[in-house]
Amino acid sequence: MTEHQGKAPSAVTFHGSWTDFAKIALPNVLLTLVTLGIYRFWATTRERQYLWSHTRFIDEQLEWTGRGIELFIGFVMVFFLLGLPLVIMQLVINGLVFQGQPLLAGIIIFAMIMFVFYLTGLAYFRALRYRLSRTYWRGIRGGSDDEGFTYGFSYIWKNVVAAIPLYLLYPWASMSLWNERWSKMSFGPYQFQSDADWKALMKRYLLFYLVPFLLFVGAIMIGVSAAASGAGGTPFSTAGGVAAAVMIIFGVLGIYILMPLAALLYYSKFMRVAIGALRIGDLEFDFTARSPDWILYWLGNLAIWMLAYGAAFAPFSIFIAADPTQFAQQLEAGESILSFGLVIGILVAIIPIAFASSIIRYRRWKFFVVHTEAFGEVNLDRMTQSTTQSASHGEGLLDAFDVGAI
Amino acid sequence: MPMFFDAWHFDGQSAVRRNVEIEARGHQFYLREQDKQSGPFDFADLRFLENKADTKVYGLEGRDGWRLGLRGNVPSELVPMLPAAKTYGGLIDRLGLGKASLVFAGISAAVVAVVLFSPQWLAPLVPSSVEQKLGDALVGDFGGRFCDTPQGKAALAKLTRSLDDNPQDLQVEVANIDMLNAVALPGGKVLLFQGLLSQAKSPDEVAGVLAHEIGHVRERHVMQGLLRQMGLAVVLGGFDGSGGSTLNSMLSTTYTRDSEREADERSLQALKRANISPVGTADFFNRLAAMDGSGDIKDRQARTMASYSSSHPLSDERRKLFENAVVKGAAYKPALTPDEWRELKTMCAQDKDVKSGWGFDIE
Repeated sequence: MTEHQGKAPSAVTFHGSWTDFAKIALPNVLLTLVTLGIYRFWATTRERQYLWSHTRFIDEQLEWTGRGIELFIGFVMVFFLLGLPLVIMQLVINGLVFQGQPLLAGIIIFAMIMFVFYLTGLAYFRALRYRLSRTYWRGIRGGSDDEGFTYGFSYIWKNVVAAIPLYLLYPWASMSLWNERWSKMSFGPYQFQSDADWKALMKRYLLFYLVPFLLFVGAIMIGVSAAASGAGGTPFSTAGGVAAAVMIIFGVLGIYILMPLAALLYYSKFMRVAIGALRIGDLEFDFTARSPDWILYWLGNLAIWMLAYGAAFAPFSIFIAADPTQFAQQLEAGESILSFGLVIGILVAIIPIAFASSIIRYRRWKFFVVHTEAFGEVNLDRMTQSTTQSASHGEGLLDAFDVGAI
Repeated sequence: MPMFFDAWHFDGQSAVRRNVEIEARGHQFYLREQDKQSGPFDFADLRFLENKADTKVYGLEGRDGWRLGLRGNVPSELVPMLPAAKTYGGLIDRLGLGKASLVFAGISAAVVAVVLFSPQWLAPLVPSSVEQKLGDALVGDFGGRFCDTPQGKAALAKLTRSLDDNPQDLQVEVANIDMLNAVALPGGKVLLFQGLLSQAKSPDEVAGVLAHEIGHVRERHVMQGLLRQMGLAVVLGGFDGSGGSTLNSMLSTTYTRDSEREADERSLQALKRANISPVGTADFFNRLAAMDGSGDIKDRQARTMASYSSSHPLSDERRKLFENAVVKGAAYKPALTPDEWRELKTMCAQDKDVKSGWGFDIE
């Protein structure tokens, strides 16, 4: 980002470079690979240390104090307290179905879904709390006195209410959950406040909501006109065939371009409204990324993923193309050697993909930081240490459900 | 004798940044700021946190947010008192990245090897009573879908007897489900699905499939597979995304395919002992090959790739295996008499109480 002259310098700035970050990301990938993935918790920690310490708020960098072992313990806890029981319940449900108890099995499945739903909400809350409690600025940290248990219930009922009128109330649910979540967070002695208005999102949401309908109507219209012009001849040689082709293009366009685009437009508005409504002490925030910024950001990510997958599959094609007949014979004769080769192939393929996801996280952080503005004053004397309890077991829950940060 | 050094400091109580002087006294130090002084602190309680540009930042054990920053080159008198800088943390810094990676890779390979090979030894150690209970918990009476007529059961028992020397610890059932398949489950349970029986042209065909499933039971494949899958899920659980599950299915299908081969071998041996022709089983695989299309794929490369990714050897390969086992001119005898065969085939139709299909109708 270039700083425009005449404009006050931003209070939140990023000073990292992706080549420096790569020096952290690449050893991370190597260590993650040789430890069968266990190192990734320490990898995450090193990544965040870099990102936080290269992010400056006013005159001082942030500091990430989370530790790999915390994330690891969180993961192990979730694995044993949640993953294993869920697998066992799966077996019990199978057993019940086979033993002719489908009603009981259905009740258990429903209870399990609700439980996982509840935990998802709880996980969002706990992850935010954990991240704030490990973020220091001038020796002061954030946190929350709330454990997030009531937020888990809010997450269920607000999502259910949003779904009743065919998901039309989704913006209300997500915004009201955002407000609820942030209002329970604090930094130093100050409580965050958030009162973002969901109604500002409705126009963009309706656009996103209507895209499938518009596409459907468009397809029908083309279909009707095709039928009228005498479809049924050889495909693609008559007007009907051409119309069918147009319909296919239209559909692909809709699913792969228009839908994500509409979603991006909505998300862009959401972040602007949500962050714009956030306050703490005498500070107010603003998020300046507009739709074109998001689109560029998203296209950049797409390009990185495509490169990574290309690099991941390249060794395989060389492996097979080198000597296809010998490859086939070896497979039929003694497959163990080739299984080994293929397993190594998969391990090697993980490298570009893991590296790319690292770079994507870097881009995401940078995108948020450079577009975040803060206004107001911080009184350093009154900025005293947070009295909140800090959780010691990281983001295990969030990790297990594979959901994102903000 | 005290020594003084310049540093910046956050006390963790407020966000005010202080420029302080470190006054070192033996193993302890004080922080002085004009007329204020804090301490004494133990050097042993200092923790290295990060290199921030040209500054080394330390925290203090037990003091939330307490920070001490030393800019530029740390004076040599102070160096031995301060904790060493860390890049990766403990073990890796001590060994170096290269060596540590090799050590980790070695340990990981050993762990995966143990998980892959130990089920062969562990599975027989699982008491059969435990396996029995597991099988019962999983299947029970299959929701009343097991077919039962005295004649049909007798025919099935005869078939089982002819293929295995210890039929008493097997529980072979016909399940009233229209599916061309059979399964071996924990606790010596073998299920033949009715679809298999209705499509079979001869009892010899059923004999080959049944012997194959009994082979799984005798080789303890079911327990092995269960243990291996669980072990791999734990060991590869550290990977996020699809990497771990791809590796898992890759490694475990290699074993399933080996198991299928072993069970086929067992089946051929059992058929030979019972003097039943393998031609029926070859017919069965022929029909299966027509279903999965493996007979049509001419391209050798494509075929091996297909066989690589599937958990079973290709039906077409297995047809050849059973066809080649046929001894020309041998005096094979049918697995069951025509009457017995009819009773077995129609057992589900004759059984009035049996439930059918996958539907969960509650009567």
